[in-house]
Amino acid sequence: MTALSVRDLSLAALAVRDLSLAIGRTNIVDAISFDVAPGEVLALVGESGCGKSVTAQAIMRLLPAAIRQTGGEITLGATSLSNLSARAMRDLRGRQIAMIFQEPQSALDPLATVGNQIAEALRQPLARVRAEVRQMLVEVGISDPDRRIDQHPFELSGGMCQRVMIAIALIARPAVLIADEPTTALDVTIQAQILALLRRLAAERQTAVVLITHDMGVVADIADRVAVMYAGRVAETGPTAAVFATPAHPYTALLLASIPRLSDVPKSALAVIDGQVPQPADYGTGCRFAGRCPRGDRRCVAETPALGPVADGRLVACFHPVGG
Amino acid sequence: MRRISWGTALIFAGLLAFMVAAVGADVFASNDPLRQSLLLRLRPPGTATATAYFPLGTDDLGRDLLARILYGARASLMVAALSVSVSLLVGVTLGLMAGWFGGWVSIIAMRAVDTMLSIPAILLAVLTVAVLGPGFFNLVLVLGLTRWPRYTRVAYAQTLQVAALPYVRAAEMAGCGPGRILLRHVLPNIAGPLMVVATSEFGLMILFEASLSFLGLGIQPPYPSWGSIMSVGRQYVVRAWWLTAFPGACLFGVVLCVNLFGDWLRDRVDPRSQGR
Amino acid sequence: METILEITDLRVHFPGRGGAPVRAVDGVSLHIAPGETLGLVGESGCGKSTIANAAVGLLAPTSGRIVVAGTDIAGASPRVLREVRAQVQMVFQDPITSLNPRMTIGTAIGESLLVRGRAAGAALRARVGELLQEVGLRPDHADRYPHQFSGGQRQRVVIARALALRPALLVCDEAVSALDVSVRAQILNLLVALQARYGMAMLFVSHDLAVVRHVCDRVAVMYLGQLAEIAPRDALFAAPRHPYTQALIAAVPDPDPAVQRARVSVPLVGEIPSPANPPPGCRFHTRCPVAVSRCAVDVPALRSVGAAMVACHLA
Repeated sequence: MTALSVRDLSLAALAVRDLSLAIGRTNIVDAISFDVAPGEVLALVGESGCGKSVTAQAIMRLLPAAIRQTGGEITLGATSLSNLSARAMRDLRGRQIAMIFQEPQSALDPLATVGNQIAEALRQPLARVRAEVRQMLVEVGISDPDRRIDQHPFELSGGMCQRVMIAIALIARPAVLIADEPTTALDVTIQAQILALLRRLAAERQTAVVLITHDMGVVADIADRVAVMYAGRVAETGPTAAVFATPAHPYTALLLASIPRLSDVPKSALAVIDGQVPQPADYGTGCRFAGRCPRGDRRCVAETPALGPVADGRLVACFHPVGG
Repeated sequence: MRRISWGTALIFAGLLAFMVAAVGADVFASNDPLRQSLLLRLRPPGTATATAYFPLGTDDLGRDLLARILYGARASLMVAALSVSVSLLVGVTLGLMAGWFGGWVSIIAMRAVDTMLSIPAILLAVLTVAVLGPGFFNLVLVLGLTRWPRYTRVAYAQTLQVAALPYVRAAEMAGCGPGRILLRHVLPNIAGPLMVVATSEFGLMILFEASLSFLGLGIQPPYPSWGSIMSVGRQYVVRAWWLTAFPGACLFGVVLCVNLFGDWLRDRVDPRSQGR
Repeated sequence: METILEITDLRVHFPGRGGAPVRAVDGVSLHIAPGETLGLVGESGCGKSTIANAAVGLLAPTSGRIVVAGTDIAGASPRVLREVRAQVQMVFQDPITSLNPRMTIGTAIGESLLVRGRAAGAALRARVGELLQEVGLRPDHADRYPHQFSGGQRQRVVIARALALRPALLVCDEAVSALDVSVRAQILNLLVALQARYGMAMLFVSHDLAVVRHVCDRVAVMYLGQLAEIAPRDALFAAPRHPYTQALIAAVPDPDPAVQRARVSVPLVGEIPSPANPPPGCRFHTRCPVAVSRCAVDVPALRSVGAAMVACHLA
């Protein structure tokens, strides 16, 4: 992938190269590549079925049994994850790379106290690391930590559970944090708190964050760079400000135009993308957006556009990029 | 179309053989199951005379055991099918109403279920037959009217779940009455779990029919039933093993197939595999 | 003033675990004029969905009046409810559970016409075909089952079903929340277009302020079972009066990094209290950045401030 030489790869905390995933013989993620530097937030954004969540699971090596990795390489610092034994991978999880989920209440063990669950991430009994765990609760903004440390998840609200998840994920100071729709189940005022917390902790601890989301508002809020995914491929990637200001891929442009904003004209027609996201069995050759794309032509249906550089350090997979 | 494994195919083959044997008993049996011949008492399997062949031997009255087992299969199938139908109808109606109307309807229905389930089923059946007298229709009635509680429980729990779904709310909004909502919107969506219960009950009914007939409270002589054949065979178990072994093996095989089919059905209607 | 929906001092309390009832809705009054769209926003547990369900008679209120098209449906008999529901219909959040998986969508859409004796046979089929076309589907889709459609298409079917009786009021409970971004735009455009064509009123319940602003004429903001503020759309978004409205608007991330990063907003602190045990005085005072001592004692009444009605001592 020469196209990715835009960035110095030796700086990356996590690098994904040409990752492909399949269910049986049906390809669902097709040769996607991205990397994240320490302290940087990369957003993988896309609609349901675009492959963003399975990509996160592939990085954690937590894929469901039906899904196989058919190609590509994932490297964490200098370690290649693809060749690690299951045991070595288990040691890595939590220490080097951690994950938080959409439903914090169901991701926590209902029978264990908050303190015990955080201590478990350090593989230590709570009694030995109590001070450290308490400090972590303070850092994730939980008030009254001396009481909360001995409470069970059902005694906490959804927002507080997500703070506990973040504490569990970050206490061992992993290099990389995967956040899979971390605020989707939360209310907007709580979402604002959690996003501010993630942004602050990533910067302070120099954690590389891969943020999986469908919400362009969340991306605009905290992501340094963004990779827009469509039907198992990266359509466009680059610095968030540039991608949002002048989207180069027609899908990105339409997606951004279809969002109601606090600044638009009420009741005006929103831009729509005709048709629906294709099912993996119907991907065919060529650009997967071709069937819905206003700029699509015969070449788009026949050939797959490679991810190539355009202005501002961006890459786009399109034969007819917007403004190009 | 999903592939079916060899094991599943074997279960289907077993069930099919049972159905075919029961329905076509008069075609497959070369001898009259009621015709006695005291000269041919307790002949072993494979006995042949000038006029007849007894592949599974004869019983204590010289009747063809194969014919009696085939006709016994028919009795089993009819009793099980009819009693399951009766209890399904009673149980599901009660469960649907309890789940939909709630309040005192559900209190009465569910207390009745608890009461029925706390009485030993076979004892209840024995008592009822003792009062009503034995015979085919009383047997169906007894089994049908004592075995509905499991359907009620499942139908009740499922109805509660489905009734809370938006499409049922929408049917209310459309102006549908309780009857239409329960029959068109709830019942089709709870049919899967009910069929699983019905299958396991079907196996139990075959066993119950055999047990009651074994005790002399079910199908009455001279008509054959696997239970009554074994009951007679019990007296000759040393001299004529075939009288207990063949109907026993049939009972075992059929009930096993029914139960395995029930497991397979349960996996198919499991909510995790629904909607695919 | 003519109204299609008039809710007066509505209270809906649910039995809570261990003693105190959950006061999901606690003294809310609001009205909707014919053809008007009222947005109802707030965070989870604020009671907005409870109001939606009470407004269509799917939930019996503890007290208060709910007058739909001239009929009070609070405590009404099933017969009265059935009549009123010809005037008010509902679109639900989840397009998957909104449709009976064992019923063709044509039967589902035509059911209300059939059971009310308004159409049958070929006439019903023709009407269902028209409805399908109105929501952007084809008449020959009528014989298909829900699982053969995508989420967005199913929501179109749900809308067609709700429109079959030509209701005067359409209640949308988080109708676009479960949909993907591009599909959400399609459904919002459809709702706006259908309303322009048929002039029905809408009660649009959503947690998404940008969506509410896009489709609504007036907006009511709820917090813990009570109204914080109710105002015409432009007034509410241009000059929110209630501190909670201000915080809610500030918390919506703008999908434009240039705008979003330039905003100086301090996230609201604290968690939403439980509706089983709401704070005394103003229910928002525990999280309010400008609360004074009076707010913890006196319950603020809803009063007129400019074009808005606000329940805040300091507005």
